[in-house]
Amino acid sequence: MGENTPFDEMYNADGSVREPYRALSEWLGEQPEKGLALMQADAEAIFRKLGITFAVYGSEEGTEKVIPFDVIPRIIAANEWRKLSRGIEQRVKALNAFLYDIYHRQEILKAGRIPEKLILNNAAFCPQMMGLEPARGVYAHIIGVDIVRVGPDEFYVLEDNLRTPSGVSYMLEDREAMMMLAPDLFQRSKVAPVETYPENLRRTLESVAPAGAGRNPVIAVLTPGIYNSAYFEHSFLADQMGAQLCEGQDLFVDGGKVYMRTTTGPERVDVIYRRIDDDYLDPLTFKPDSMLGVPGIFDAYRAGNVTLVNAPGTGIADDKAVYTYVPEIIEFYLGEKALLNNVPTYNCTDVDQRAWVLENIAELVVKEVHGSGGYGMMVGPTSTKAQHEEFKKKIIARPDNYIVQPTLALSTCPTHINNDVAPRHVDLRPYVLVGDEVRITPGGLTRVALKKGSLVVNSSQGGGTKDTWVLED
Amino acid sequence: MRMLGRTAQNLFWLSRYVERAENMARLLEVGYRMSLTSRREGGASEHLISMLQAAEMDEAFAERHEVADVDTVAYFMMFDPANPSSVYSCLQAARTNARSVRTAITTDMWESMNGAWLEFSQIKPRDVRGAKLLGLLQWVRQRSHEFRGALLGTILRDDGFAFLQAGNFVERADNTARILDMKYYVLLPRSSLVGGEIDIQQWTLILRAASAHRSYGHVYHDRYKAHNIADFLILRTEMPRSLIYCAHFVRDNLNLLAKLYGRREACHDAMDDLLKLVEGTNMDQIFTHGLHEFLNDFIDGNNRVTDTLSASYNFY
Amino acid sequence: MESWSVEGPGIGNAGRFTDGFGNAAHLVNQLRPEGEINIHVRGEVTTRDSHGVLGRPSGEPVPALYRRLTEAAKAPEALYEPFRNAKENRLSICHALMARVGEELGLPEEPKAPQQMQANGGQAQVQEVAEAGEPRPPAADYAHLFIGAARALDIPARYVVGYRLVDGEDGLHAWAEALDEGLGWVGFDPHAQICPTESYVRLAIGLDAETAPTLRTVPLAEVVQVAKVSAV
Repeated sequence: MGENTPFDEMYNADGSVREPYRALSEWLGEQPEKGLALMQADAEAIFRKLGITFAVYGSEEGTEKVIPFDVIPRIIAANEWRKLSRGIEQRVKALNAFLYDIYHRQEILKAGRIPEKLILNNAAFCPQMMGLEPARGVYAHIIGVDIVRVGPDEFYVLEDNLRTPSGVSYMLEDREAMMMLAPDLFQRSKVAPVETYPENLRRTLESVAPAGAGRNPVIAVLTPGIYNSAYFEHSFLADQMGAQLCEGQDLFVDGGKVYMRTTTGPERVDVIYRRIDDDYLDPLTFKPDSMLGVPGIFDAYRAGNVTLVNAPGTGIADDKAVYTYVPEIIEFYLGEKALLNNVPTYNCTDVDQRAWVLENIAELVVKEVHGSGGYGMMVGPTSTKAQHEEFKKKIIARPDNYIVQPTLALSTCPTHINNDVAPRHVDLRPYVLVGDEVRITPGGLTRVALKKGSLVVNSSQGGGTKDTWVLED
Repeated sequence: MRMLGRTAQNLFWLSRYVERAENMARLLEVGYRMSLTSRREGGASEHLISMLQAAEMDEAFAERHEVADVDTVAYFMMFDPANPSSVYSCLQAARTNARSVRTAITTDMWESMNGAWLEFSQIKPRDVRGAKLLGLLQWVRQRSHEFRGALLGTILRDDGFAFLQAGNFVERADNTARILDMKYYVLLPRSSLVGGEIDIQQWTLILRAASAHRSYGHVYHDRYKAHNIADFLILRTEMPRSLIYCAHFVRDNLNLLAKLYGRREACHDAMDDLLKLVEGTNMDQIFTHGLHEFLNDFIDGNNRVTDTLSASYNFY
Repeated sequence: MESWSVEGPGIGNAGRFTDGFGNAAHLVNQLRPEGEINIHVRGEVTTRDSHGVLGRPSGEPVPALYRRLTEAAKAPEALYEPFRNAKENRLSICHALMARVGEELGLPEEPKAPQQMQANGGQAQVQEVAEAGEPRPPAADYAHLFIGAARALDIPARYVVGYRLVDGEDGLHAWAEALDEGLGWVGFDPHAQICPTESYVRLAIGLDAETAPTLRTVPLAEVVQVAKVSAV
């Protein structure tokens, strides 16, 4: 951290090409002039045709945008990936153990390793989950860990995303598009497949079916509906898994069991991959005025007649304030040191730390505790003086509402910009499935900040995506 | 995998709305043409109003507009989002239904529907006048044909197909029956003045609204006669917009559902009742019974098919 | 408990489960309700006076859970701050808190007029008894104030809804329980200013009235929802 030039994943400081990027470098050299630009245009056509769009909140109905796709893949070497995936597996196991503990005996609180109030008075803590025994003890089945790289061997976890992480459809479609656009590049490289994700998702969901379910559990994907920004992904995953795509109104609870309304009558549902937030899931237990959810579905879950994926209340484990304690959590439950780094986080409620933060705000990143999607966030080095002052005032007014971290020098990857290739900052979201075993898809979603020098990769803030290659030995 | 009741419903209405958009465009074209050829003072307005009546839109129109001229009527039938049967509303509803059942229709169907909506929603109403209006009306029909083509060419012949087809032809039957009912009096047998000039114009209107003015000649080899026109649009099995043709088409698709699901439902009985109206009869009998009464019976029976279909297959 | 039965349409097919607070619950779905739904709960229980001491029943979540602050159960600082550094044991503090809550919201009238207690069960609106000259707030308010104050002092406290027998008449009632390290859970009824006796029957517990209702309902379609819970 703190180096002047960020780590570039393709080129060493002396300009030589790093090993994993060798084939790509050769291939780039062979591309005719305007070759990448043509490819870029083809890519956009492919995405529009497939209908891979996201709705932009606040814009007119019917205006769906395509997230920009960059035609130069991001490449991770086999040994780098092994290290990463071990660290990820460790994290998701520990976080699930933490969730089990928090919703049962709360040993970690009794042991004083995490302040009790931080958990119990947290809005993300769900008292209704107390004492529930989820299938296989798993709470967070589908996880997208946000990781940034700052050096050849230095990775940091930014966020764990244990609620309903999105974007996996982009990982799959980016690969699909890349194979259509540059089959010759694939032939030269041994790229680990990501196409197994829907099948692995299905297996994971089946493995956590309730005890009473038959040999082939019935799986449904529960979506808030067509106006949700991730509706495309919901229908895509349901389609790929061969599961039923349901809205709240398609399901009902009777006798403590969940059924779908089909053309030939009710059909029992065993596992629900729900893409509806906790609050809207069940008006009987949570927000009473929710029209999106299914009344009684949470009670059916408590009765052990259906499995909800992810479980409600997982948000307590990816809360920004709890994040600081993840290394502690790993040690407590697994007796191991954390393999992946946490980003150092300053606590503004501490007077000394706050004073230091206010003094050095131009170098720091400020995030709202409950913000997401790059909203309510300030990156010191790329913000104006006025913005610094604005956030200083905000921190003083509500110190508990913000966490502050050093500005990480995110690694850069070559990116196609205006018919040229230039380095741009990237992050990585690998997708993890936890059921009868932990399944990590090799690769993930690489998000790239298309604006020069920008560190914000969110699609809502001008970010694009790249196909992410994990090379096999 | 069993189909959600909502999916079946969305498919049924997706097709209905596409068909309805097409019919709206067809009706407006007829009204527009007639208003151009009307020689009498105020005749243009009368034609447009009787066309609105056929579409059961006259009251809603009167609430919004004082004068029925080409501009107001064209806006109301094409672009008005407040009119649930305007082409705009129909295409939007069709596209929303398609999006809800994205996984139950093919990519070709989705692209056709999505493209039609995206293009249409970009059009500014004030840019559409005169010749442009006719061009746009033709475009609407073509997009409807394209969607149906994508459907026939790509979708599996399963329950989804049956719901789509049933929706299409229930709507079409309804439309044909309403057009006939609008002008039923000019089709009634008369003792004198048969084939006056006004009547020919009215008959042409009816045939055009059903895209039947050219095929009529191929079938009857005769000048326009009221009896033939009624026969053509009600009882001719080779006429793809006739009541009997539509009814047979819906029946075939309901039978497909019965076969797939292994049982007959209330909608199959409702279908049998509807068929009894159009089978084993002829125009003389229908005229004796009363054409207007017959058409109303048909429209009611057709609605019953939709209602029982909704109940039988758990639409909601 | 000698016997307990819940009767109502669809109850035979009810989903049975235990909620997050250890309460036994039934889930009933009326697909085609007819006008009015009546649920009758009958039970026979034998009670004894334990001076409010309940102990630590099994099958309950960790007591620390009941230190969670909620919107419904809040107390003003003035109410609990004097006890912040008190030297007395927890039990005495709770008794003192109960007295303070009584002073705050109004003490029971001395002449023992037969009264029907009211409890607020979340969405389950309790019968409205408009007795002349009874301006005292409902028992739920007392319980919430007590719980809020106890939690502010780091004492786990929870909400109880149940029945209370007064002068041979029973009615729905609400009170609180606080955790004593030695005795376990101890009941406090700040509305009546006593610890529960053999006239009390516990029905359900929770963080506050919202999480411990006797009846939760949600309309599946547009219906006018009038849920009424009353003790007969």
